[in-house]
Amino acid sequence: MLRRIAFLRNLWLRYRFRFAALAPAARRNLEAPARLRLTAPARSCSYVVVDIETTGFDPDSDRVVSIGALRVVEGRIRLGDTFHELVNPDRPIPASSIRIHGIIPAMVAGARPFGEVFDDFLHYLGPDVVVAHHAAFDLQFLNGAMKGKYGFELQNLVLDTVPMCREILFRPGLRYPFGIDLDSRQYSLDNVAKVLGIAISRRHSALGDSLATAMILQRVLARLEKGESGLLRDLARVARVP
Amino acid sequence: MANMKPDEFPFPQIGDFLRKVVPFDTLDDGELARIVSRIEIAYYPRGTVIVRQGSPSPDFLYIVHVGSVRITISGGGGEEILTDFRGEADAFGGASILQGSESLAEITATEDSILYLLPADVFRHLVNTNPAFERTFKFSLANYIKGACDSRYRQLSQPDGTRTINLDFFLAGKLVSDLMVRNLVTCGPDMTIRDAAEKMTRNQVSSIVVTDGRGTPLGVMTNRDLRSRVVAEGRSGDESVSGVMNRALHSVDRKTYAIDALLHMSEHHIRHLLVMDGDSAAGILSEHDFQVEVGSSPLGIIAQIEKAQTVDHLARLRKRIDNVLEMLLMQGVPVDKVVSLVTGINDRVTQRVLSLVEHAMADSGMGPAPVPYCWMALGSEGRREQTLLTDQDNSLSYADVPGEDGEQVRRWFLAFSEGVVDGLVLYGIPRCPGGIMASNPSWCQPEGKWRETFSKWVLRPDPLAVMLSMIFFDFRAVHGGTEFIAGLREELHGNLGKKKTILELSAREALENPPPIGFFREFIVERSGEHRNQLDLKRRGLRPVIEAARIRALDLGVDRTNTMERLEAVRDAGILDDGLYSDIREAYHFMNRLRIDRYLDAVAMNRDPDNFIDPATLNSLQRNMLKESFSAVARLQKKLLGGYLFP
Repeated sequence: MLRRIAFLRNLWLRYRFRFAALAPAARRNLEAPARLRLTAPARSCSYVVVDIETTGFDPDSDRVVSIGALRVVEGRIRLGDTFHELVNPDRPIPASSIRIHGIIPAMVAGARPFGEVFDDFLHYLGPDVVVAHHAAFDLQFLNGAMKGKYGFELQNLVLDTVPMCREILFRPGLRYPFGIDLDSRQYSLDNVAKVLGIAISRRHSALGDSLATAMILQRVLARLEKGESGLLRDLARVARVP
Repeated sequence: MANMKPDEFPFPQIGDFLRKVVPFDTLDDGELARIVSRIEIAYYPRGTVIVRQGSPSPDFLYIVHVGSVRITISGGGGEEILTDFRGEADAFGGASILQGSESLAEITATEDSILYLLPADVFRHLVNTNPAFERTFKFSLANYIKGACDSRYRQLSQPDGTRTINLDFFLAGKLVSDLMVRNLVTCGPDMTIRDAAEKMTRNQVSSIVVTDGRGTPLGVMTNRDLRSRVVAEGRSGDESVSGVMNRALHSVDRKTYAIDALLHMSEHHIRHLLVMDGDSAAGILSEHDFQVEVGSSPLGIIAQIEKAQTVDHLARLRKRIDNVLEMLLMQGVPVDKVVSLVTGINDRVTQRVLSLVEHAMADSGMGPAPVPYCWMALGSEGRREQTLLTDQDNSLSYADVPGEDGEQVRRWFLAFSEGVVDGLVLYGIPRCPGGIMASNPSWCQPEGKWRETFSKWVLRPDPLAVMLSMIFFDFRAVHGGTEFIAGLREELHGNLGKKKTILELSAREALENPPPIGFFREFIVERSGEHRNQLDLKRRGLRPVIEAARIRALDLGVDRTNTMERLEAVRDAGILDDGLYSDIREAYHFMNRLRIDRYLDAVAMNRDPDNFIDPATLNSLQRNMLKESFSAVARLQKKLLGGYLFP
């Protein structure tokens, strides 16, 4: 159902903007859903795993301070195909958030504002599937920039690794040797990484977190490949945002 | 497109890791950063085939970051031969990339593994421009030596510091003449390439020395030359060897120290050295001989077993085989893999002894085997669960012979079996104290008699039958008789379907031997005797699992003999749930690991190895693991055997 609504909305947008003078990256983004192959095996698809660090949790008043992303193709993380940039939030960074990501005002003083960085990111992203941990949070900021600049939201398929973990990696009732109980766990990036044995280097740096998230995605793709329902469609059914 | 600034290192943890990988440790930060930016990270769950045997030259050099892989080649009969393991910070695939050859081996993840993939073009560039890479990958032995000296051996020393191992130990004081292949095969310069190749194959050597009329060596032709100069360049087999032989012949005196010869080969990038005794050639020394000596290559050992010309020669290999296994264990290779390798090696040794004794019988005038026969492995050997500490358990069956010839045939096989059992003792597998060996007339019988015996045990069981069935019902063919074995098994399952008394009696007996853990999860140790305050890991921990698996599997008509494979079948039949199955798997491997560690400790300290363990010597993690293991065994016993008590 959701899929159909997103599809119709995209169709409407493409109609509405058919004569508008859009930046090429935005134009291509409108066409992203048309290039999506939901019936392809999930492992064969191209994903961009993204993480955003911000000044706080409110998308209306808070701003992005850094964005990191890397591409996963054929289940392999390409370390040479990454996007990582600090962003000038153009406002004070509260101490509470500095404590998390360690980005102080002096580091971003010379950085570009998110509006500019975002265009490059959009170009980097292309039509690929967006993946993030607790993706709704990151998507709010990405959509904020997209709407502010071009008047519509990001058209890519967006997937969240949290429901992937819950539904695919740690299915309830699955017992682990010697009584490790996963049912009671919260699906924070730290907890999931710990259970999967993924070491996160530079936690809360945008690139470090997206690497950990990409490694979670790898486990999910490997698990899907073994099962019967391994198509992108099946993954989207579980993990699509919104 | 990378949007990072050039001065920042994008993935410091990956650079830090690569600095531990030989020879990436020789790169400076800038080079390392460039390489990191070309790496792809891949994840392979346990059991995934990463590279298939015979697939085209790989697109990547693979570096293990987390996990391990096993390298196997499939033999002629379709069976898998384990050749090596690669663990963390090891690389593989380099040789195939450089030679542009198809993959000679199959590579499988033995646990969930994270691998770093370096594209082949980057790797080739490194080898062409960086001497350290050239040394490491172009000359695989150098890889071994340097890798060994630089990093691996440092990691090898166990936390308790009692077991360290180093290369010097293997090569110390050895002369070239100790290592070289004496079986020197020569030919004249005019011999055709085809004839020379045939001669090499016949003599099972990888090189042939070309000599002039007076025996002075002129050059050498190796398997490699045959591939690269004859096949690849499309030469005819009718040309003479002098046209393709390698004239730049490096030679050393037979009294040279082995380590010097090795360095000489390493420096000049050659794989063979001619060993001279004065003016005449005495032997050939190849890179492979070093690997065999150093024990890095289980594959080399298997080749040596198959080449052995006498039982004495086999017996001399025993020490090296133990070295290989110990090294694998110390490198953290999973116990079940090592156990299956021990079985594979013992099978090959047995097959070799069978063939040697058969020849000896023929030569001594008793003639060849009068009828086809089957050498049966029983007990742990039949289950493919041998460890380094193991006795013989075997029997022999031969095709039925009617009338008076029967006695003569019987006598031949009895003499033959005695020879084989003696040969295995000489090799280092002691006799079975219970006399369950083919040299015992009761266990050297025609096929019909075996069927009769098995039927009798099942249909009219007595205590002796129960005891013997525990060993015999794990039977498997090591040589010949595949059809006979399948028929025997079918008949056995048929009879068990009719009458289960023997299974009920076995279950009852098995339940009298519970794992040594009490109601309050305390260990129940031996109360008196030599092993006071100790636990018998084999009898009280492993055997209950083996027996529960055997009894249930026989009941279900499962044709497997291996304990874990039997439990898998029992699980698939819905009798065992996934949770208990995986608990038991871990428990079984953990207890086996403990047992083998004890064995290695005992050997290192010159004590007689046994299966006892004192819980006080374990750390708290091990103690807890052992308790969990015992309680899993207790649950398994109850689950699988409880039903037989009150049928």
